[in-house]
Amino acid sequence: MAPVDIADSVPYSERPEWSDLTPVAQYENIQPLAPIFYNPDYKDATDYFRGVVKTGELSPRVLDLTETIIRLNPAHYSAWQYRYQTLIATKSSLADELILTNELTRIYLKTYQVWHHRRLLLTLLNDPLPELPFIEEILKVDVKNYHTWSYRQWLLAHYNREDMWVQELPLVERLLEEDVRNNSAWHHRFFVVFERGGADGEDTVRQELAFVKEKIALAPNNLSAWNYLRGILDHKHLPYSTQADFTKLYVVSSIALNEESVVDLENPRPSKGAQLPSAAAIEFLADVYEAEGESGLSKAVELWRSLADEHDTIRKKYWEYRIREATVAAPD
Amino acid sequence: MSRPAHLPPLNKSGHVAHCNRCLAGLPASLVEMDSSRMAIAYYCLGTLDLTGLIDQKITVTDRDSWREWIWEQQAGGLYGTGFRPSPVTGTENRNQNIPAEYTDYSTPHLIMTYCALLSLAILRDDFARLDRPGLLKFIRSCQDIDGSFSTTPGASDGDLRLTYCAFAISSLLQDWSGINVDNAFAYVKNCRTYEGGYGQTPFGEAIGGPTYCALASLHLAPPGAPVPFSSTERKQTERWLLHTQDATGGFSGRTNKLADACYCFWCSAALDIIGGKSLINTAAMAAFLADCQYKFGGISKAPGEHPDPYHTYLSSAALAIAGLDTEDASWGLQPLDTLINSTVPTLQWAKGHLAAHV
Repeated sequence: MAPVDIADSVPYSERPEWSDLTPVAQYENIQPLAPIFYNPDYKDATDYFRGVVKTGELSPRVLDLTETIIRLNPAHYSAWQYRYQTLIATKSSLADELILTNELTRIYLKTYQVWHHRRLLLTLLNDPLPELPFIEEILKVDVKNYHTWSYRQWLLAHYNREDMWVQELPLVERLLEEDVRNNSAWHHRFFVVFERGGADGEDTVRQELAFVKEKIALAPNNLSAWNYLRGILDHKHLPYSTQADFTKLYVVSSIALNEESVVDLENPRPSKGAQLPSAAAIEFLADVYEAEGESGLSKAVELWRSLADEHDTIRKKYWEYRIREATVAAPD
Repeated sequence: MSRPAHLPPLNKSGHVAHCNRCLAGLPASLVEMDSSRMAIAYYCLGTLDLTGLIDQKITVTDRDSWREWIWEQQAGGLYGTGFRPSPVTGTENRNQNIPAEYTDYSTPHLIMTYCALLSLAILRDDFARLDRPGLLKFIRSCQDIDGSFSTTPGASDGDLRLTYCAFAISSLLQDWSGINVDNAFAYVKNCRTYEGGYGQTPFGEAIGGPTYCALASLHLAPPGAPVPFSSTERKQTERWLLHTQDATGGFSGRTNKLADACYCFWCSAALDIIGGKSLINTAAMAAFLADCQYKFGGISKAPGEHPDPYHTYLSSAALAIAGLDTEDASWGLQPLDTLINSTVPTLQWAKGHLAAHV
């Protein structure tokens, strides 16, 4: 199907091949709420669309009409729904439709309907593998687009194929190479490693801890990485205290670090020039001390105090609340 | 409650003027709103309601004719009765006393139904024309096997926004027969992420809007519903939400994203629901939202951007929840019910008239 060039297109009301169809004008009462001052081409196309819906026609020309409407208003969900039914009824090539959808996806990246249509097509085509490089291309347009990621996660979960899963960590690593603060990539990593089920044994946990700590060393104030670290520990029911030695490297100012100390692979040190101390590290270490109970309480309180007064003042009330809660809970 | 320093006035009359302009008409460039006009109406009317200026700023004629227009969007059929976004999908309805009959391509839409009911309540309609049994049937038709709700029956495009709308409508009707609550809870739990927020669909990244929808749904649920989350989970959610406020004072939707006015509502409302409102830096949030005000009225997503009804309403709603402690009367707003997202007087009206006919 050739894409419609809207600028040059003849109105449906002037097309001889549509003369058999009675258009249905949109009905608005005397004083509608938030009326849209439509362009003539949209009004023309939707008049004919309502006419088509009325007769129930499912034919190739309906594909042309719905494409016109979608290009004018990609959120027109009825046009999408009708188009889908027409594709099925006319036994149209779904592979061709996917090619058109590729173009529309690229243009209307933030429109729900284009992604839903894509999902419906894939469910019928059952050929998910080429989708992965396509999505990666689309991520270059907007690397944090929520719909793009949701669609990729749906594909992986829906098909659950080893030849798809293996592509995911290399993708995440490429993206984190570009931007270590890309939370969508971190989230995807958690999904791939821990939520697909099965393959998250001890080796995986060790690998993931090493991976995230290396990234924290690179950018110690990156909350995405700290949340990932917390995520691993919570998921595997490991105490935060297992990471106390590592975290302690990040709660001091950089000057205090001895440059000559032995390299410890388990506990990578902050990269040169990193901004320290890291508020996220202070918060983490306070959690470690809080979990120790009475013996750690004063150290936890001191850390929260430093967040409230100096290192994270926007959340002053929260850190003071943490102090109150921990102090009240502790026995005298 | 904190006292913001050097806060400029909240330009309420400007924001009302922005909303009134949108209610009167939208330019062709906003044609994408054609399939969600009812939501635009709700954001505009909601802003008028929050400012307390609605009676001064709209005429009796406006009120009556707008109610008529909303009733014209009520449509019934095979899957029950609800409201459509606008007349764009077809079936015309020249007799608002009975719902129009829809085809499979002009069905009601669950989000638009929520927006229509609240808009009618803001306009103080008596709901005598509402097809209640049909509405319950419609909600039931939208729920899928995985517990989620679709926008339109059978669309299978569910996400947490729809779950919220189904719960809010059931709560307004005080009738839960349209929902399988256990299945719906299971779906909400599937959307929870390791960060402590909720994704829009299962496996999705934690994001502010769906997190509000999840928490509000879990808290609107009727007695006897499952426990929403553990106390550890509650603390984790509270922590994640509080960390979405950044140094600008605004809130971002996801970790490491830029602040956006709408998330001042989604995140602070979510915090309010789980009892964490007093921990929000409301002074900083108000300062951020003050900067998002457009000079000719309306509030934009970030300072220097163009305003729209969505950001204008949600910013106002965030400020209504915050209840700033300031002597500047311009910041005074009507109290908001956080779970239903309407002013308290409007909610009382809605409950009084929607439940009375059951």
